Amino acid sequence: MIPTLSRRAWIESAFGATGLSALMSNEAFGAAPLGPHFAPKAKHVIFLFMTGGPSQMDMLDPKPALAKYQGQRPSTVDLRTERVTGGLLPSPFEFKKYGKSGIEVSELLPKFGSVIDDVCVLRGVYTFNPTHTPARSLIHSGNITAVRPSMGAWISYGLGSENKNLPGFVVLSPGNGGGSLWRAGFLPAEHQGTQFNNAETEPDKMIRYLKNQHLDAAAQRKQMDLVQALNKDHADSFGVDALLEGRIKAMETAYSMQMEASDVFDVRKEPEAIREEYGKTEFANGCLLARRLVERGVRYIHVYYGSGQVWDDHTSINKNLKKRCPDMDQASAALIRDLKRRGLLDETLIVWGGEFGRTPVSENGDGRDHNPYGFTMWMAGGGVKGGMVHGATDEFGFKAVEGRVSIHDLHATILNQLGINHEKLTYRYAGRDFRLTDVSGEVVREILV
Amino acid sequence: MKQAFLIILLSVSAFAADAELFEKKIRPVLATKCYGCHSSKLKSPMGGLVLDTKAGTRRVIDSGKILRALQFTDTKLQMPPSGKLPDGVLADFEGWVAGGAFDPRVDAAVAVVASGMSIEKGRQWWSFQPVRPMVAPVVKDRSWPKTKTDRFVLAQLENGKLAPSKAADRRTLIHRVTLDLTGLRPSFQDVEAFVADRSADSYERLMERLLDSPQYGERWGRYWMDVSRYAEDNPTTEATNPAYSYAWRYRDWVIDAVNRDMPYDRFVKMQLAADQLPGATRSDMAALGYVGAAPIYHKDARLSKEVIENLASDDWDERVDAVTRGLLGLTVACARCHDHKFDPIPTKDYYALAGVFASSPAVERPLADMQPGDERRFLWIQQRMIHLNYLANLLTGEPGTKPEEAKGKVVRFKAEFAQLRKELDAMGERYPFIKKYAVRFDPPPQRKAGDPPATRRGNFDRSSDAPFVNAVYDAGMYVDGSDGDLTVLDFQPGKARDLPVFLRGNSGTTGEAAPRMFLAVLSKGAAGAYDQGDAGRLNLANQIFRDAGPLAARVMVNRVWAWHFGKPLVPTLSDFGTQGEKPSHPELLEDLAARFIESGWSLKWLHREMLLSASYRQASNPRADGEKVDPTNRLLWRMNARRLDIEAFRDSLIATTGELKMDGGGPSTDVDLATNQRRTVYGRISRARTNPLLRLYDFPDPSQHSPARDLTVTPLQQLFVMNSAFLESQATKLAVKVEAAPEGREKIQALYRRIFSRDPSPKEVDLGLSFLNGASMQQYTQALLSTNEFIFWP
Repeated sequence: MIPTLSRRAWIESAFGATGLSALMSNEAFGAAPLGPHFAPKAKHVIFLFMTGGPSQMDMLDPKPALAKYQGQRPSTVDLRTERVTGGLLPSPFEFKKYGKSGIEVSELLPKFGSVIDDVCVLRGVYTFNPTHTPARSLIHSGNITAVRPSMGAWISYGLGSENKNLPGFVVLSPGNGGGSLWRAGFLPAEHQGTQFNNAETEPDKMIRYLKNQHLDAAAQRKQMDLVQALNKDHADSFGVDALLEGRIKAMETAYSMQMEASDVFDVRKEPEAIREEYGKTEFANGCLLARRLVERGVRYIHVYYGSGQVWDDHTSINKNLKKRCPDMDQASAALIRDLKRRGLLDETLIVWGGEFGRTPVSENGDGRDHNPYGFTMWMAGGGVKGGMVHGATDEFGFKAVEGRVSIHDLHATILNQLGINHEKLTYRYAGRDFRLTDVSGEVVREILV
Repeated sequence: MKQAFLIILLSVSAFAADAELFEKKIRPVLATKCYGCHSSKLKSPMGGLVLDTKAGTRRVIDSGKILRALQFTDTKLQMPPSGKLPDGVLADFEGWVAGGAFDPRVDAAVAVVASGMSIEKGRQWWSFQPVRPMVAPVVKDRSWPKTKTDRFVLAQLENGKLAPSKAADRRTLIHRVTLDLTGLRPSFQDVEAFVADRSADSYERLMERLLDSPQYGERWGRYWMDVSRYAEDNPTTEATNPAYSYAWRYRDWVIDAVNRDMPYDRFVKMQLAADQLPGATRSDMAALGYVGAAPIYHKDARLSKEVIENLASDDWDERVDAVTRGLLGLTVACARCHDHKFDPIPTKDYYALAGVFASSPAVERPLADMQPGDERRFLWIQQRMIHLNYLANLLTGEPGTKPEEAKGKVVRFKAEFAQLRKELDAMGERYPFIKKYAVRFDPPPQRKAGDPPATRRGNFDRSSDAPFVNAVYDAGMYVDGSDGDLTVLDFQPGKARDLPVFLRGNSGTTGEAAPRMFLAVLSKGAAGAYDQGDAGRLNLANQIFRDAGPLAARVMVNRVWAWHFGKPLVPTLSDFGTQGEKPSHPELLEDLAARFIESGWSLKWLHREMLLSASYRQASNPRADGEKVDPTNRLLWRMNARRLDIEAFRDSLIATTGELKMDGGGPSTDVDLATNQRRTVYGRISRARTNPLLRLYDFPDPSQHSPARDLTVTPLQQLFVMNSAFLESQATKLAVKVEAAPEGREKIQALYRRIFSRDPSPKEVDLGLSFLNGASMQQYTQALLSTNEFIFWP
């Protein structure tokens, strides 16, 4: 209720610059201009999020010792997890070497295997909490309570959007839940993620209020012209005012955004061959939209696989993975290939993973419990080495023992690729400077080009 | 003398022997066998255990873990992982522990000295000083000031060689003050009557009428609820942190208290301690929602004791933060992991306050009277049954690998549950409302054929109008980790919990004791620890106003100023510490704070003082000389123009049709519901799913205290105005209302009166007529609702 006229709030309202800078002196709006701290490798980030915690030893971290010690419970796997677990559960999926790098990938992900030379597999990631909600909050915001800004909001705050008609932080999530994961927290509200429901394919169903249900473009233009004529007279009688001027501009932006967003968010505008390459599923549409958004300058795109904790396989894990992996495999591989073909992979960092991994010991006989001690994520593009494995878990895949990467390290590395020093991207709130990486985080230099 | 010398010698040699044992036998083993995984230098030591610090080592000794692990007798706890140590080494450790586990190491973390300001120096800080009314400065223009406030404002303007702006015209003024006090636009008739009323006290009478209207409390209660982060559920909703079914009673209590002009000190004391405050009635218990409906996180019983303690301490942290920033303008939560880096707040003070909230768990208290002993028992049973039910369900659903053991536990939990259920029945004989309440613990009745299908409301909306409130009671919250597989919350009524300092914020490594008490730097007289019998909420509330009254008054005066003027005197509304900014008008703040206290902490007194000022009544139009000298309007050479917040915007939109419901409180209604014509303050406020419309218009995150809203102007907001079903339907309804008017010209006039409370200019009529030539009245109406004028608050 108190317009604390922050410079960004006005100049870069949710969809970027509204051209007000001429009206306002920097002095009046205080904040120093932000931007990269050093030359960035990447301009965009696409985070493919596997909610629920995907199983590393079935997909990306082969552990032959599981078969050898099947059903046993050596003391090294006696780690406390969320639920009670039993003996070691081998993976039934065969691993094969792919590409020049010869990195082993499970038969569940053959298409991903074919692009492995562009991928850096991080096998030593670990987190701090074995429960979904806090762990998910941690990987999104660097903190287990759901109050801090999401990484995409930090990046939008730090770098702004390259496209004034589109938000800097886009969330592609089927369904409508989960808003707290893409919150702006204490950052200005304009940096919160804007969610688009990729369970739909028609843009006006994906975006709230995008289309007027009754007026065509000409009728709406006429209506806008009346509004703006009245606004102009009102502004003339009141005098130059940033708020009035800002809203006049925001209204024009909104008007043209209706067209731009209708175009960007319509995967049906892609050639059939491309759509086939991604596969026409919900997740495939998300990946394809992510590429279209990268082409138009969106900074950070968070794509969720499914709605709910879909990778949370406490039971029947083998059956579930067989069902779920093919479209994830196809779409993520297509995204890497497609971006590379267009010369965009170098400037786009793709990150893949969930809030934690799964245990090598069984739960309920045919499931796996949450495993925060060690799990696998991967990165591709954006100045990260391809065809590389970094880090390792113990012989059973439980704990990260080498090349350990914490969530703060992961965040520091992502920010680093965008040209941001994670220790310098701060926001003063409640009496102190806050960071995405809290008080820790080290850039994983070994994996950088 | 000789004897004393001998004792010293003896103890020195004993010291030497202990040190030698440690250095020769213990430290090398710790270093080679343990530090690899259990070192404070690791980013995440295994199990959160560290053996390279004295405190960390002490912990595993006290818990008995170290010997258990080394002895390899417990199959679940065997260390080191490489295999059992030789018997001789094990014997060294056993001897060491038996002998008191002498450890000569000095922990850096324990040796931390206050890095911020000392308490003595801190007592000199400006915002902690007593307040007294100030002598108003002499000003050149003696005709302009209307209140004492104006002389402070004018003195600084004259100093800056700026003149105040001319008075706002009467139409602007009635808009401004009506929106300010009620969150609604004045009607056309009100505006005309005010413009026509030329009597000297017309403005004063208008203000009094608005202050007396029930809409005033709805507006100003809502402001307070940003500060008190009111909501009706938790950021996540799980078994141990269900939604707050009665939180709406807190909202209604706030609105009512504000309408009655409850003195601010009492208003706050009620919210912290209505259950102990003399003179509070049973229905005032709703005020405890301030603490009792605050956000908490799920405590999954499968997590270790340490993880649960850390989750619980996040809950307490939120309350420390809300109370200290919200009421005192101090960022005490900065001192959770280390002494405050800038302000005179040691970590010990933080944990002293956290203990108050570790002893005030959330419960549902009845609105009807109960004997204190009975009530305490009832509230404990409530908590216990919810927890037992959760544990039994958990183990039934997931018996895990020890199904027999789990089954045994389930039987025990269920037996205790049944026992308590019976006890509730017995209580129900004396307290009939308990009978009804207890039914929630029974299995749902079997559905018979032909019954309507059960309506599932899910976790999101659990609101209820049963006679209860979301509140707190005095019970220490302890965490019982004695069962290795199941961590159980243990609430102990009447036994408050004093916390130790958690080193670096980690419950696993504890430092000195921090008995519950008030912040040292603000305490007057001997700083006394609070009694063991209750949490100390009333002590805390009393000390806020007795010891820190001037600070509390400054903070609130500054908030009220910001809500009236659109810009605070101290820009950092919730930080009056050394990192906060200094007031733009220090003497004015002093004077208002002092007189606010003298008035008996009356908010209505404060409103009058501010609203009657010439400063408030200035025009808000830009002026070239002002823009040049003082572009941020720090000196207040004009009134600040604002955008309507979402409550005022939505309410005003609905009010244009005359259909805004004015009949007040009760359980909330979803803001998005097309049929919801209630004021926005009665909309459902969720932490888990903040309503997208509210968020779009900068409603603050209700999971934490919000000092101020950052009001943005974004294109997405304009899409809502252009395309939403809500705007379209408002426009449609409004267009119907003016259909009766015979001609286009009259229709336009009727619309202008309803929307802008004024008549259109001839040019506006022409614009309207030419638009209507080819477009519908509905489209025209929506265009008017979309204009800047409608959302502007000049």
